[in-house]
Amino acid sequence: MAASADIFLERDKWGRPLGWSLALHAALFLSIVFYTYVVKGARGEGWGAGGGGDAMSASLVSTIPLPSSQVQTQNIVANESKGLTRSVPKPEEQVEPEAIPIPEKESKRKPKKQPSANQAKATPPPLESNVIPYGEGGPVSGPYGTFSAGGAKGGFGFSGGGGDFGSRYSWYVRVVQQKVSENWLKYEVDPRVSDARRVYITFDIVRNGQPTNIQVEQSSGVPSLDQSATRALQRIDTFGPLPSDYSGNRVSVEFWFDYRR
Amino acid sequence: MQKNVWYRSIRRHTILWYVAGRSCWRSRKISDSYTGRIYVLRTALILAIAVLISLPCFSQDWIRTGTGLGVEKVRLAVPDFKAVSADSQTAPLLKVFNDTLWGDLDNAGIFELVSKSFYPLEAPGKPEELKFDTWNSPPPNAAMLAFGNLGVSGNNLAVQGWLYDVKNVISPQILGKQYNDQPTEDAARMIAHKFANEIILRLGGGINGIAETKIYFVSSRTGHKEIWEMDYDGNGQHQLTHLNSITLSPRVSPDNTRIAFTSFARGGVDLMMYSLTLGRVVSFPRFGGTNLSPAWSSDGTKIAFSSSRTSDPEIYTIDPAGGSLKRITAWKGPDVSPVWNPKTNAQIAWVSGRTGLPQIYTMESDGTNVQRVTDQGYAVSPSWSPNGQFLAFAWIRHYGPGEPGSQDIYVMDIASKQIVQLTHEGGRNDFPNWSPDGRHIVFQSNRSGSDEIWTMLADGTKQHQLTNSGKNTQPNWSWK
Repeated sequence: MAASADIFLERDKWGRPLGWSLALHAALFLSIVFYTYVVKGARGEGWGAGGGGDAMSASLVSTIPLPSSQVQTQNIVANESKGLTRSVPKPEEQVEPEAIPIPEKESKRKPKKQPSANQAKATPPPLESNVIPYGEGGPVSGPYGTFSAGGAKGGFGFSGGGGDFGSRYSWYVRVVQQKVSENWLKYEVDPRVSDARRVYITFDIVRNGQPTNIQVEQSSGVPSLDQSATRALQRIDTFGPLPSDYSGNRVSVEFWFDYRR
Repeated sequence: MQKNVWYRSIRRHTILWYVAGRSCWRSRKISDSYTGRIYVLRTALILAIAVLISLPCFSQDWIRTGTGLGVEKVRLAVPDFKAVSADSQTAPLLKVFNDTLWGDLDNAGIFELVSKSFYPLEAPGKPEELKFDTWNSPPPNAAMLAFGNLGVSGNNLAVQGWLYDVKNVISPQILGKQYNDQPTEDAARMIAHKFANEIILRLGGGINGIAETKIYFVSSRTGHKEIWEMDYDGNGQHQLTHLNSITLSPRVSPDNTRIAFTSFARGGVDLMMYSLTLGRVVSFPRFGGTNLSPAWSSDGTKIAFSSSRTSDPEIYTIDPAGGSLKRITAWKGPDVSPVWNPKTNAQIAWVSGRTGLPQIYTMESDGTNVQRVTDQGYAVSPSWSPNGQFLAFAWIRHYGPGEPGSQDIYVMDIASKQIVQLTHEGGRNDFPNWSPDGRHIVFQSNRSGSDEIWTMLADGTKQHQLTNSGKNTQPNWSWK
């Protein structure tokens, strides 16, 4: 009996395990430090708007010296004005007989807008008519180099996060954007709302192009707007199969909706 | 006494613990070699985990984008394909191919084709010959480029085609296709249709192109109204039925095997079925009365039509073999021209004269929840868009003596009841029918003097005539 009770009376020798623990923690820490210094790209050059690679973002469209905008051409479609390259014509109506034009409100959190005078003519309802359209200002010099990361500038930000899907398959990103914009029915939003924050919706696109796992990542504060954005995604059957030489199984998309009456 | 019991239980407990502890790695009574092995294994495991954690994690690919960025039509440049063989057959086949490809992509409604006068002088035939900066900067200023070559060797027509994103110099290829066929004009045309469809599928968001679809219509150019078939761009018009009587409203099935239509051939006004696979009329039951305007549901399991077998025309549904006849409407006044909601197959839109002049209504496919869609004038021929959102119909908006009385094609968004007028030419425009991609509408118009088939984009632009001879009416676009 005395022998078996020894277990309780012995002092716990924790010196050795503690030593092991400390040594392994130190090893882990050192390996992380070692990794960041030795392995290329681990310090975050490829992340966010860092600037590695050829499709990285700039901050403002107008400050980028696009080589083609220096060249004066007689070509009426290649100049600065929106000209003939209008948005995709929609099968929906372009006349709202009951619509009364509402004066634009000043809003600090909205990105800088171009004057809407020459754009209000034939713009279909679901598309914003007063945001800088891409392509304006001459042809894009790199694959989507004119777009800024982060939402604040009203840009297309897909650099960053992980992977280079956006820069390699910019045409697919364009298809996604066009399809969602087409399927967003703005009249589903409560008509009393005139201006709202952005709502961010995230979803995954699987191999056959179907959007799945649709979620509201950041609400706009207006439930009908969140709902209409979610329904826009649900309305879409497919974006088209993912590019065949893309090795992944799915792509995640974060899509924001700007509502302005 | 209690204490004794207590000590005994402790002893039992510790014995049990000891026994358990012998096999437990925390016990100190286990032999040294066993302990040592355990320690080594444990250390190795921890080290392995530490190493694995520090490896780079491959995170998922992300795209971030949003609305309000001004989506424009893709600027697509399509230079003529190059000839890579000196065979005498090559030149005419190349011309047919180039014209067809250009026509398909121009008609698609999602591209802005860069005019050929802006192209550089040498067109690439292979990817090695492509110079990016001549295409992605002004004057062409193209975003996409479709190019390739065509050659005939012996009895084989070989076409290679690529679709390149010329703004993305690093990895530009979107499509690379190769086709082989007989060296005939039809084969060249079909290859061009297939290639155009691939481009439209990729750049148009997963919706199939319509380059290989057909339009069925009624033509009286042989002296009798018969059913004819043609390609969606008007090529290859040929006759299908030879009933030498009056045939009306052909409607092809979703799997492209049968056409349901109305005919006077059997004495009464009956529904009949023509089999495209057999090339002849197949049997279909007769119902008595006047039976008109069959409409297939998009899964091919039901046909809705109008029958006056009870003396007042009502809407009925039936299965394609002719069984399970079911009546849907039961109102006084004629009910004709039903059409299914192709997305859900749960709703039917039709024309009803219950208030006097014909107006368009919708209801559930069992007849409940009747809603009126048009509020005035004379509205006929509804056609439901493939995405279930829009109704196209022909409308004389202001009907009556003294009014202009022109009939135009309108499109209405069903949920919001907002309408757009698509034709403004005056005259009579009737029988609109949507294409399966939801971007085109085919209709009949008499603005050229006689009734002909016309087609346009669903926003009313690019209206052009498809037929030229005889009287051609009541077009129906195939489902695929």
